[in-house]
Amino acid sequence: MKVLVEVASKDISNYVGKCDALLLGLDNYSVLNTVSFSIDEIRRVILDYPEICIFVKMDKNIFNDEIEDLKKILLELNQLPIMGVFFYDISILELKQELSLSFDLVWSQTHMVTNYRTCDYYFNQGVQYALLSKEITLDEIVDICKKSSIKSIVEVVSLPSVGYSRRKLVHNYYEDSNTSGNDTLSVLEKITKKHYLVKEESAGTGFILDEALNGTSILSTLYEAGCNYILLREYGISSFLELASDTMNYVHGGCVDNSYVEKYKKLGDSTGFFFKKTIYRVKK
Amino acid sequence: MKRIELLSPAGDIERLKVTLLYGADAVYIGGEKYGLRANATNFSLEQIKEGCSFAHNLGKKVYLTLNIVFHNEDMDGVEDYIASVVDAGIDAFIVSDPFIISYIKKNFPKVEVHLSTQDSTTNYKAVEYFQKQGVDRVVLAREVSLKEIKEIIDKTGIDIEVFIHGAMCTCYSGRCALSNYVTNRDANRGGCAQVCRFSFEVPGKKDFTFATKDNNLARYIGNLIDIHVTSLKVEGRMRSLYYLATVIGTYREIIDRYYNHTLTEDILSVLEERLARVANRAVSTHYLLKEADATDQYYTGRNEASNQDYLGQVISYDSEKKLVKFYERNYFKVGDTVELFTPKGDRVSIVVSKLFDEDMNSLDVARHPDNIYYLSLDTDIAIPSYSMIRLLHH
Repeated sequence: MKVLVEVASKDISNYVGKCDALLLGLDNYSVLNTVSFSIDEIRRVILDYPEICIFVKMDKNIFNDEIEDLKKILLELNQLPIMGVFFYDISILELKQELSLSFDLVWSQTHMVTNYRTCDYYFNQGVQYALLSKEITLDEIVDICKKSSIKSIVEVVSLPSVGYSRRKLVHNYYEDSNTSGNDTLSVLEKITKKHYLVKEESAGTGFILDEALNGTSILSTLYEAGCNYILLREYGISSFLELASDTMNYVHGGCVDNSYVEKYKKLGDSTGFFFKKTIYRVKK
Repeated sequence: MKRIELLSPAGDIERLKVTLLYGADAVYIGGEKYGLRANATNFSLEQIKEGCSFAHNLGKKVYLTLNIVFHNEDMDGVEDYIASVVDAGIDAFIVSDPFIISYIKKNFPKVEVHLSTQDSTTNYKAVEYFQKQGVDRVVLAREVSLKEIKEIIDKTGIDIEVFIHGAMCTCYSGRCALSNYVTNRDANRGGCAQVCRFSFEVPGKKDFTFATKDNNLARYIGNLIDIHVTSLKVEGRMRSLYYLATVIGTYREIIDRYYNHTLTEDILSVLEERLARVANRAVSTHYLLKEADATDQYYTGRNEASNQDYLGQVISYDSEKKLVKFYERNYFKVGDTVELFTPKGDRVSIVVSKLFDEDMNSLDVARHPDNIYYLSLDTDIAIPSYSMIRLLHH
C-alpha cells in the first residue's frame, strides 16, 4: 500500500519523503483544488522531483466546446511520465481509447464508485485504478479490494466533498441578498449542526463537509485487504505534512505501530461512512 | 419523419394507465428494486406485466428504471431480476451503471438500454463512448443547452431524451451526496431527501438556500422537435393523477399542434397557463438558452404551493340522466365554474347547478374528499372514466 497526497501548495519540496505519490489538480480541468497546475508546471515538478510519482486530477464535467482542447491536453500529458489521470467525465476514457494514450486512468466518479463488478467493468475497459467512494462502508471497500482486479485507492483523510453543481450558488446567494463576500461560504446545517463549506469556482460550486474524515484507524485493514493507495487530501487538515510523513512511515512499516493510530485520534472521531451504512427506504 | 416521443412518469399502475390515456407515448416506471425512487409506490412484477400489456395494446411502451448506483450487495440477484422484467415485457431499461448496461446488451440484445441522466452526460465524446457500449438512447444531463443538444445529435446520431418538465436537482445528477451526509439517506440508491431544498444558517446573515425552480420547456418544444430530439421526458414518478393528466395532456396538445401547424401564440399562452395552475413551484428554462443564474433559483427554503384546483376524478357519465359520477378531491360548491377535461383532450366548462351525494340527496357543497358525488351535466361530449374536474373559479 502506498500513500498518495493531494497537495494544497505548489511548493513540492514540502512533500518530498512524506508520500509515495502526488495528486495535482490540472488548470481548467479539475474541481475543488486549493492549487492547480499547468502542463508546464507539472512537467517541471516531474523534472525536479523524479522520485515522486505524479497523478493528475481531471475531474470536472466536460462540455462540447471543451473537447478539442481536452484532446490537446491529453496528448500533452501523454508525453509526460505520469502515473495516471483521475477522471470523472467519460469523454476522457473515450479519448484515451481513441487516441491510444499510454498513461493509466483512475475511475474517479466521486459518489459512484461503489461496487466490485463495475470496477471490473472499467478495468476491462483499460482503467487501472479506482478511487472508491467515501460513502461506502469499510466492509464494502475490503470486498472491492479483494474481489476486483482494479487497483483500489481509498480516501482516508480529507474534508470530504459531498456535492458539485454547475451553478454559481454563492454568487446567486449574494445577488439575492444584495450582499457580497468571499467565494467560499461557511454554512451550518440546522438539524445535524454540521458546518459545510460552499466553494464557488469557475466550473461551478462544491459542497465540502467542514469536518475532517479520519480514516487513520482503518489503514491496517486496508493494508491487509490489499488496497493499493490511500489518499490524503491536504485542504483544511492541520499539521498535514507531519500527518503525511507519519502515515507513510506507518504504512511502509506494515501498519503495525499502534502509536500512530493513537496519535491521530486527535484528527477527530468522524469516520464518515466506513462504519455507517446508508439507508434508502424510509417507509414500507 | 419519426414523431417525437412524449415520455411520462408513472408511480403506480393507475398512473400508468391514466398517463397513457392522456397522450403519453411511453411511460417510465420503477420496480420494487434498483430504481431511484425507493420511496415511491413502485411496481411489482405482476403490475409490470399488467402495465406492459396495457401499454402494448395501445401501441405504446414501458421503460423500467434500473438506475441506482449499485453497491456490492445490490448486485446479488440483479441478473434474475433483469430476466424477470424482460419476461414481463418491458421495452427498455433506464440504467446508469455501465456494468449493468454491458450485462443487458450481452444477454438481452433486443431490449433497449437508455443511459440515465444520473450519469450527467454533457458532451458528445461521452455519448460516443456509451454508443459503442450498445446504449440505444442517452438521457442527457439537465445542464446542457439547446445548442449543445443539437451538436450531440448531429455528431453522434444517437437517440436523445431531454427533460422538459418538473423538478430539477441543484447539483449534477449522481454528483451529490448531500442527502447521505445530512440524513444518512443514500441519494444514489433512491433515498434522496432533497437537502438542496433545506435552508442553511449563515452567522449574522440571511440563510443560505440553493433550491432550483422547476423546469418548464413548453415554449421550446418546437425547437426540440426541429433539432431531432427523440423523446421529451416529464419528471415526477411521485406526482398525482391530476398533475400527470394535466401536464401530459397539455404537452400532448403542444406537440400535436406543433406538428399540424396550429400552435399559435395565443394557444400556447393558454396551455402555459394550464401548466402553471398545477405547478407548485416557480418555473424556468434553466440551461436551455443560457447559463443558469440567480433567477433560476428560489431563496425561501422549502416552498411549495398546494394546489386546490383539482376537484374530482370522473368514475362514469350517464348520458341519459345527464349525471357525472365522480370521486371528490377538493371542496367546491353550486355556483362555481368548473371544467371537465377528458383523456382525449375534450373540455366542457359549466357553472355547477346541481350536486348530489351518493344517495342522490341534493347538496350545495361537495366537501369530503374521496366521497362519491354526482354532478349535473348536459353535454354530447363523451366523458369517460379518468376524466378530471378542475376549478376555473369560485
